[in-house]
Amino acid sequence: MTEGSSLPGAIAAAPRPTRAEPVRLSSRSRRRIAGAARTLTILLVILVFFGPVVWIMLTALKQPRDVYSLSVIFTPTLDNLRTAFASPYFLGSRTLNSIIVTTGTIVLSLPIATAAAYAFSRFRFPGGNAWSLGVLATQFIPPVIIIIPLFVAFRSAGLLDTRLALIIANMSFVVPYSIWMIKGFIDAIPADMEEAAQIDGASRLRAIWDVVVPMAIPGIATAAIFAFVVSWNEFFYALVLSRQDAVTLQVGLMGARTERGDAWEIMAAMGLVIILPMLVLSRYVQRYFVAGLVSGSVR
Amino acid sequence: MPGILPARRFEGWGRMHDRVLKYWLIAPALLVIAGTLLYPLVSGLWYSLHEWKLSDSPALGPFVGLGNYVVAVSDDPDLLNSGRVTLIFTVLSVVCTLSVAMGLAVLLSGNGRLEVNARTLLVIPFAMSPALVGVSWRFLLNPEFGGFSALIGALVPGLKGASFLADPTLAMAALILCDVWHSAPYFMLMFIGALASLPQETVEAAQVDGASRIRLFFEIVLPQLKPVLAIAVLLKIIFSLKVLDQVITLTNGGPGTSTETLAHFIYQTAFRWYDVGYAAATAYLLAACMAVFAAIYFQLITERRPA
Repeated sequence: MTEGSSLPGAIAAAPRPTRAEPVRLSSRSRRRIAGAARTLTILLVILVFFGPVVWIMLTALKQPRDVYSLSVIFTPTLDNLRTAFASPYFLGSRTLNSIIVTTGTIVLSLPIATAAAYAFSRFRFPGGNAWSLGVLATQFIPPVIIIIPLFVAFRSAGLLDTRLALIIANMSFVVPYSIWMIKGFIDAIPADMEEAAQIDGASRLRAIWDVVVPMAIPGIATAAIFAFVVSWNEFFYALVLSRQDAVTLQVGLMGARTERGDAWEIMAAMGLVIILPMLVLSRYVQRYFVAGLVSGSVR
Repeated sequence: MPGILPARRFEGWGRMHDRVLKYWLIAPALLVIAGTLLYPLVSGLWYSLHEWKLSDSPALGPFVGLGNYVVAVSDDPDLLNSGRVTLIFTVLSVVCTLSVAMGLAVLLSGNGRLEVNARTLLVIPFAMSPALVGVSWRFLLNPEFGGFSALIGALVPGLKGASFLADPTLAMAALILCDVWHSAPYFMLMFIGALASLPQETVEAAQVDGASRIRLFFEIVLPQLKPVLAIAVLLKIIFSLKVLDQVITLTNGGPGTSTETLAHFIYQTAFRWYDVGYAAATAYLLAACMAVFAAIYFQLITERRPA
């Protein structure tokens, strides 16, 4: 978080100056106990919040018979992943669908959002602030309203169960939120430099591309991480819009619910694939995704 | 200004006047928003005025005016039940999430190694998809081999071996637990940011006066966090009102309809019973509730940051 404080618009915990606490002679041991209690509480918090994640990952690597015991000691195996990749779970094609939908959403959304963010930041529109606030306001429409007409429209267009339908649906929340995030960063870039470039003979479009976009990279990166996390995690639109061919990892989770009960080791294996990118990117997720979301919603 | 000096590249297009250019820059975004948000919003409203079983016909059914709305508000015990479930869930999840988040923020706001690492780890539950969170807790709360139900059984003997998801009250508790676990880290980071921006002087002054830590928190720190707290409450209310993914994967509304939130009710009505007209009408009722809170939220954030 501390690194994040250099970003414009990112709210981060600023380093607190270390203050000398008023020292009372008898209080030294009391403070030591308080310190130990504090450490213990933090460890407990980590157990409660991170323990379940570890548990799911361990379960993914357990033999099926160990899944139904509470033991933490077991011989790890990749059998569950192997089973999950085979029929009827098709973890491979689900993963591919998730990757394509996520990448497609990011690649299509960011240029669109950056252009709009620049325009909202630099130009005045009739109606003023209402435009950019209106863009954010769309994010308070509950997804259950949006999905009904989208489903009907995609059905008549023959786009049900296609990755394109999922990308379009994802853009409904990625584009508006990205505009809002990137605009915050462009607001902080002084207009002098692009004006100087224009006096030197560059067109405004060229000035945007050569001057503004490079300086807005942290903002675009924030939006990219945001877009990645929310598209990767998107469940509801994919659940309604896909049947078989376009099923993503999130919807695939439901497939491990069989008539004979839940196949937990398979769900855990899918969960592992779902969490893995978040773990790898956790530093960036914290710095950009959460910080971006927090600043976007508080400012 | 463009056009004064000789152009190099981007002739024509690039030399476009700003007055025109700005609309070109926002056009693609507006197209996306119009197509994926405004069009569904308007046509959903239109559907809600019709009786339309999608399973019977792909074409819009007969116009019934406000008929769907009248049924919804006056004569639907299931919808009433969902409203009640949503109300209980929203109140409890808002209170629990924000209290836990505030506790975590106070505990983890320092810059010690342990605190920083704990914050990084705590982001993972929030970065996990709500769908996976629901599935994971379904597993963790399994009475036979769930790790968490074993832990609860050890702490609270009365709950030993309880099937959380088979009992209406415990299922609601499980849904709230799962939501707190997922969303508290997000609000924690919001509160840590707010704590860091508090003026140190007031806190120090209070410490010199010998105020105890707990009193210090409630009398000095908390009042100063009011603006951020107000925003957090509104945001969490809005998030809770539309909760859906975890409901589908954790309880699927059950047992019976004891955890069937409004969003889940609408989802079932539309995509299980294919009663699209009625689903759209109830969706608009939910949106109306959310709009009230969203309006207050926007009031607050525009006040905080004058344009």
